[in-house]
Amino acid sequence: MTKRKLALAAATLVIAAAAAVLALGTSPGSAKSTSAFKAAWIYVGPHDDGGWSQAHDDGRLYVQKALGSKVQTTYKENIAVGSQFDQTVSSLRAQGYKLIFATSYGYVTPAVAAKYPDVKFEQATGTLVGKNVSEYFGAAEDTVYLSGMAAGAAATCNTIGFVVAYPIPEVIRHANAFALGAQLTHPGIKVKLVWTNSWYDPPKEKKAAQSLHGSGSCVLGQNVDSPATGQYAESVKAPWVGYDSDASKFAPQSWLTASVYNWGPYYLKRVQAAMNGTWKPGFYYGNIADGFTKLAKYGPSVSSKTKSLIAAKLAKLRARPGAEFTGPLYDQSGKLRVPKGVQMQVLKGGTNSLYGMNWLVRGVIGSPKG
Amino acid sequence: MRLTIERRLEQPRWRVVVVPVGSVLFALLVAGVVLVVTGHDPISTYHKLFEAAFVQTGALNQTLIAATPLAFTGLAAAAAFRMRLYNIGGEGQLYLGAIFGAGIGLLVGGNGSASPGVIAAMVAAGCLGGALWAAIPGVLRAFLGTSEILTSLMLNYVAAYLLTYLIFQSQSYWRETKGFNATVFPTGKPLPPNAVWPTWNLSAQGGIAVPLGAFFAIGAAVVLWVLYKRTRFGFEVQVLGDSEGAARYAGVRVRRKILAVMAISGAIAGLGGASQVGDFSHALDGDPNGLQKQGYGYSGIVVAALGRYNPLAVLIVALLIGGLDNAGNTLQGADFPSGLVGVIQGIILFSALGGELLVRHRVRITRRAPAVEAAA
Repeated sequence: MTKRKLALAAATLVIAAAAAVLALGTSPGSAKSTSAFKAAWIYVGPHDDGGWSQAHDDGRLYVQKALGSKVQTTYKENIAVGSQFDQTVSSLRAQGYKLIFATSYGYVTPAVAAKYPDVKFEQATGTLVGKNVSEYFGAAEDTVYLSGMAAGAAATCNTIGFVVAYPIPEVIRHANAFALGAQLTHPGIKVKLVWTNSWYDPPKEKKAAQSLHGSGSCVLGQNVDSPATGQYAESVKAPWVGYDSDASKFAPQSWLTASVYNWGPYYLKRVQAAMNGTWKPGFYYGNIADGFTKLAKYGPSVSSKTKSLIAAKLAKLRARPGAEFTGPLYDQSGKLRVPKGVQMQVLKGGTNSLYGMNWLVRGVIGSPKG
Repeated sequence: MRLTIERRLEQPRWRVVVVPVGSVLFALLVAGVVLVVTGHDPISTYHKLFEAAFVQTGALNQTLIAATPLAFTGLAAAAAFRMRLYNIGGEGQLYLGAIFGAGIGLLVGGNGSASPGVIAAMVAAGCLGGALWAAIPGVLRAFLGTSEILTSLMLNYVAAYLLTYLIFQSQSYWRETKGFNATVFPTGKPLPPNAVWPTWNLSAQGGIAVPLGAFFAIGAAVVLWVLYKRTRFGFEVQVLGDSEGAARYAGVRVRRKILAVMAISGAIAGLGGASQVGDFSHALDGDPNGLQKQGYGYSGIVVAALGRYNPLAVLIVALLIGGLDNAGNTLQGADFPSGLVGVIQGIILFSALGGELLVRHRVRITRRAPAVEAAA
């Protein structure tokens, strides 16, 4: 045999051996706990991002802990909307995951829902309720408003910097709530926005924080997923208000507080409903009263006067969620948008609803178009 | 002792098969060590990887979804790189193809089942969009001598901002403006029914839907192969790639070739963009967390290199990389960090690319280099 033939023979052998291993190899992972109910979570960023996705993963672990071996949970992180989400759903379904919590808007489309009719989808922050699609979220604006009060009280200058993700109603609503809260404790204060066009992009978030601080914002806040803004704030000794999760460990001195989510109880309820066959699509909007949104613990620099102001307001918002969006509310140009005494509703009212808001309140610097 | 790498005078054919296979096996070995160290069973992991890519129900279906765009961007890169014209702009050209393809689909589409005329118009528009975007670095290179690597790369960012702008920051023609859902989160306007590309369904493996775009990719590969292997144009491109000076003396019109090759490369990437819209998203996907996050244009460069710029090999590599990509989604989870998936994918790609060096070059370890060289 020539050297060439030998090499070819060797290659064929190796390929055959590899194929045999791949075909016959056992995978112990797929054999375990077939009787457990399977539920999966899908995240836009890493599961331990210190913010949004981590709050959801805490919720997943809450379910796992409560139900133990009766349930098998997993997550998929850094998943793009579109075909990657489709791929992920398809593979989860093949592995028996028929309840999927898609934790960001844009994942579940009517087409995907129709393509996998036997999968129950739960999507956070959207409005697409369908035969097999539920939507869930909550009044974070109330707690964001309270965190804005802490930011306003901490400000020794006239501008607060706010790092924001996408120019969409959810983020606009939170930015507005934050500004209204800050204006309550610091009349006349401005809130300046910088958009990152991403939910999770630590370098971009840090740059945004840097430019806000550099242009005169002495307090920073955010509606993005990572604690990069806080880490930067800590490095320049500026007070910082976080979002989604308690991220005080990333900036122990700068930390004021944050609006945080408690997804666990909702997840547990829905998983249990799916397990005993009572799952029905719906629209859930949690609030302070049912424990869905909370204010994280305070940092060392928050004064007791501020704490008691916030506590009083919290009691009011617990009794009447969304009360901070009661008229008179003016937009950036000074035009009256919501008349006196009228409270904005969650879904009804077009651009004057919480889910449709596309304008910024007076005192916010930046464009609602990004 | 000295390590020297020298070009092989002849390239034995068997190495073309043995080296890539050996490289991948080597990669699996190295990745196996990583897996063992991190407390995972390598055999079961590879088994899962393989199953998730090609075997389990719906796996091939999903692999094709990942492979189709990679085939387009891989072919786009291969078409240009053959002439040593480094078009890094496949990403942006794909976006422009998607924008043009979606625009025409929305404009001329209507009710009813898939219309060949509408699809042909989308294909043409996609190619045009990609070709025009690629022509910008092409013209700059041909007439001003600007590095096409930099200009085509920079235009990717411009294209990405344009894509986001059309859906998120303006009330453009591409954006859905009707209904309350459209105000809650910006999305593209859905294509009319007859502008949605059909799929060819295979009954194997619980149903495999082969997207129309996959056939277009195969068609593009065949056309490219014939063009480069069997025509004067292709021959001139090869000569230009090997030696620009020689090509000039032989009377090859260099500027024309640069423009033509950039346009062909861009058109293929643009067709990939039209396929994204027609085959998969059925609307222009302007979400920075969507199409833009996939980076098909950049992965296409790797696909082209692994396929050694051979259009037919590019198709096979696209399928394999698509499988690896799809399997990565399946593998990651609560018990398997996504970072580790990335490490395994990285090791496999790195070894495969590194192995290429051994096909064309040989590594010699010499004790005292000058003496050995003299003897040789």
